[in-house]
Amino acid sequence: MKRILLACSSGMSTSLLVSKMKEVAEVRGIEAEIWAVAQDKAPTEMEHADVLLIGPQMRFMKKKFTAVAEKVGIPIEVIDPVAYGRIDGEAVLNKALQLMDK
Amino acid sequence: MNKFMEFLENMLLPIADKLNNNRYLTALRDGFMVALPLIIFGSIFVVIANFPFLDKLLGEDAYTAYQNALGPASAATLSIMGLFVIIGIGYKLTQSYGGEAIYGGVVAVAAFLILNPQELDGVTGVIPTAILGAQGMFLGIFTAFIAAELYRYFVNKNWTIKMPPGVPEAVSRSFSALIPITLTLSVFLVIRILFSFTTFDTVQNFIYTIIQEPLTALGSSLPATILAVLLCQIFWFFGLHGQIIINSVFDPIWYTLNDENLKAFQAGTELPNVITKQFIDTFLVGMGGTGMTLAVILLIFLIGKSRQVKELGKLGGPAGIFNVNEPIIFGLPIIMNPLAIFPWLLAPVVVTAVTYFAMATGIVPKPAGIIVPWTTPIGISGFLATGNSWRGAVLQIVNLLIVMAIWWPFLKIMDKNYYENEKAKK
Repeated sequence: MKRILLACSSGMSTSLLVSKMKEVAEVRGIEAEIWAVAQDKAPTEMEHADVLLIGPQMRFMKKKFTAVAEKVGIPIEVIDPVAYGRIDGEAVLNKALQLMDK
Repeated sequence: MNKFMEFLENMLLPIADKLNNNRYLTALRDGFMVALPLIIFGSIFVVIANFPFLDKLLGEDAYTAYQNALGPASAATLSIMGLFVIIGIGYKLTQSYGGEAIYGGVVAVAAFLILNPQELDGVTGVIPTAILGAQGMFLGIFTAFIAAELYRYFVNKNWTIKMPPGVPEAVSRSFSALIPITLTLSVFLVIRILFSFTTFDTVQNFIYTIIQEPLTALGSSLPATILAVLLCQIFWFFGLHGQIIINSVFDPIWYTLNDENLKAFQAGTELPNVITKQFIDTFLVGMGGTGMTLAVILLIFLIGKSRQVKELGKLGGPAGIFNVNEPIIFGLPIIMNPLAIFPWLLAPVVVTAVTYFAMATGIVPKPAGIIVPWTTPIGISGFLATGNSWRGAVLQIVNLLIVMAIWWPFLKIMDKNYYENEKAKK
């Protein structure tokens, strides 16, 4: 089970991406729990996640989240703006899987 | 051009980082988030209580009874929103230090109440609800900061009551919050007593006159609003979430102005402010998201030829109705796009000015102080925000047409470029 957490300001725009990623995961038969939260919930939600991806518009929060992510021991990355604009579930899912493999 | 953009981004990123990671601004923003569900609950009932034509339909007596029956819903939430903001800030700030957050919340409220008058027109044993709304907003915010800081300071001092051996540990722990809270609140009591000897009489009065009144007067002016709007647009142009950075500074002012209007709206007197929280959320963000990109989506459907742009319209359209527009901002793209910067910065300024004058001259009613969730679609949000006035909805449509006109030539060039690229690839 892969647990992928996405965060943006209110968890709205990342939730668009979540539904696309779920579609791709289902087609590829990947068992994954993917969900989006508002930025203030991200630090607590990280405990239940294997990776955290943050919306590019929140990239200035990476530093703050990295401190928590290191404690929990999960990778963290800012989502590529182009993939974000296209709501490219496949690209973002691939990125998440790649981060977890490291 | 690229060098210049890079330079600007490198300048903005640390500002965004600083503002966003500032402990107090974060606590302030998250504190407002705590209050938001209650504010919206209260707003819903203000809307229901003031449905148009009901007064004529029900008759005056029945209408008054109807309004009185619904009144407590907003009186217990929206009208005293300051109370929840204070709890929220005290809680979140204490939490950010890893302390016992709930104590931070309650100590903030108690400190605030200590500083405030506890009588009204000679009646003692009451807390005037006005101080829990707009009037006390700034004092509340400062008090919450200071109370939470003092609480943490005294907790860290670790002055505990030494219990004789044999006393269960749980008993001595139950005193752990006692000393910090006692000391914190004592400080506020001293402050209250000291202020009673000054001409301001209360701290509330002092903060209101010295800080709140000048700041809200400044914040309600057109130039300050245009500046805030422009800053937001500039941050977003570099793909940084503008509101989360700018609003933490402006929200206290905008919510205070909002609440002043609500009080006047409920009292049936003239609304004092044009610029309010809802001015920004409904007439600027509420038209497809930041930068009013619903206009861009409509233009795409009207004049879009290239596959790239058409795809984006389909992708971003449904979310855009509910004012979520990251697909457009990152997809068109608007960020770092020299062709987009002109309409991106100009349109919100024009719309701000048009909306301001429409309201200041009375063509369209001012926002009634009702907080409409920012995801409410255009038309509905304008109607609700202006206290159930169709003119609010019409103003949004007029604004939308203005934004479309400004974007038209620029989107046409972008679309043409994409289209020719696509043709060349075939």
